[in-house]
Amino acid sequence: MTPTIVVSQLVKRFGSVEAVRGIDFEIAPSTIFGLLGRNGAGKTTTLECCIGLTKPTCGSVRMLGLDPSKPRDLAKLRPRFGAQLQTTSLPEKARVGEMLELYAYYYGLRPAVAALCARVGLEGKERHPIGGLSGGERQRLALALAIQHDPEIAFLDEPTAGMDAYGRRVLWGEVERLRRAGKTVILTTHYIEEAERLCDEICIVQQGRIIARDTPVRLIASAGGGSTVTVEAEGFTPRDGLARAGRWKRDGQSWSLSTEDEPGAILAEVVRAVDEQRAALRALDMRRATLEDAFLNLTGERIGDDVEEAAS
Amino acid sequence: MKILRMLLAQTRMNFNWYLFRDGEMMFWALAMPIFFLILFSFAFGFGNATQASAFLVPGLIGAQVLSLGFFGVGVMLAQFREQKVLRRIYLTPLPPWVFFAALVLYRLTLLAFQACILTLAGSLLFHVRFTGQPLNVVAMLAIGALTFVSLGTLVGAVTKTMESANNLASVLTVPLAFLSDAYIPLDRFPAAVSAPLHLLPSTQFIDALRGVMTGGEPLTHFTGWIAILLCWALAAMLLSARVFRWV
Repeated sequence: MTPTIVVSQLVKRFGSVEAVRGIDFEIAPSTIFGLLGRNGAGKTTTLECCIGLTKPTCGSVRMLGLDPSKPRDLAKLRPRFGAQLQTTSLPEKARVGEMLELYAYYYGLRPAVAALCARVGLEGKERHPIGGLSGGERQRLALALAIQHDPEIAFLDEPTAGMDAYGRRVLWGEVERLRRAGKTVILTTHYIEEAERLCDEICIVQQGRIIARDTPVRLIASAGGGSTVTVEAEGFTPRDGLARAGRWKRDGQSWSLSTEDEPGAILAEVVRAVDEQRAALRALDMRRATLEDAFLNLTGERIGDDVEEAAS
Repeated sequence: MKILRMLLAQTRMNFNWYLFRDGEMMFWALAMPIFFLILFSFAFGFGNATQASAFLVPGLIGAQVLSLGFFGVGVMLAQFREQKVLRRIYLTPLPPWVFFAALVLYRLTLLAFQACILTLAGSLLFHVRFTGQPLNVVAMLAIGALTFVSLGTLVGAVTKTMESANNLASVLTVPLAFLSDAYIPLDRFPAAVSAPLHLLPSTQFIDALRGVMTGGEPLTHFTGWIAILLCWALAAMLLSARVFRWV
């Protein structure tokens, strides 16, 4: 199958700053593809090169076999993709409904304002001026403008940045809908949970380079995708088979085990051992490795407290 | 057909967003010219307000054409670029020229309305008789609009921010309007001063407009000036097309 997007040897310099330092990837049709990285990693620049907003310094981009840096090719591509960008604004005095109506005309469609508003949770806001919308509402309007013409490819640049929990649910729902419709989605995010939840494939971007690329499950596995079992019990010591189940670390009364084995069986053994040793169990906890652990292992960086925020 | 629908929808929105919902703009575009006409007719009329008003109506309309080009088009384009409105539009199939044309069409419609109310105010309040052929007046206005929209677009093209566009537009519009026979007749100045001022495109446009409007002169009286204005327009258009950046 021909890839929907091919990026090869992409380099972008702004003056003396090299924002993108040689990025390569291909995106198969009907893939939800994520560029995950910290702010300033080069995700947005890469995405903007894909849609012709930024001209690559070196390297090339092909979307549906066309070159978006060429005006003639870009003209053919415009009806076929939609984009929700971080760095755009809409006229403050325009109303939500007017904007949707106008964009329908841009794409030669019959405006379906009410239905679209309902889809992104802006029902009843048709007559609200854009200047009076909250950040999350603006993002949802931008999403509606990106997808109302039913594009083959959707580019979403930090689509949930600044969104509340409701906005995230709306966006995630729309991405699921695009997935079911067989569309290709390319999104940038610094929310790990979002990437893990939505993406079929993730590229981890660090300082303008891709340092890992795989499915979320395999990324987690490749970065030591085991589990951690933590036991806090007075009078407990791991012995025999349990002692050999993995790497144990002791911190006062608390023992924690990193293991590649199936954590269910280990938990059962821990409970039995605690019972046999007549230890007083205070806490027992198990967690599997997450994409965040993989990200930390691969980049040596933590992405911030955004995970809890995204989950709430 | 599709293009026409885009153009009309965009023009309608321009009216809604930048005129009807902007009280300040309503005041500057509609009330201020009338206020100027009344004030200046009495101030400069020295007892003959009709004569002063006959001079001022084409002058004020001409000044509106200048501000249409430099502010209505030039500064607006710089503002749209700075506020990243153009970036978003650039990603849609809307042809850039339609976006531009809708901005110009909105301002031209507004200009037609401004010209009508100024003419009406001149004839009702000050009994000015406009003897010109309406078609000639429209043609002269179109030539002026073409010239100053082109020059205004150049202002929007060479400036990076809305602030610098605003400064450049002010530096051009205010002196051009005051030194170009718009408010004060140039023949009040000594010939050594007024002669070079007649070389300004704004002077040539406003004088020609006045000649056509109140003097009832045919367009052919101003062939030379019209040719020069069109040269300005062409040069500015070619230069803007090279320099203008959408994103």
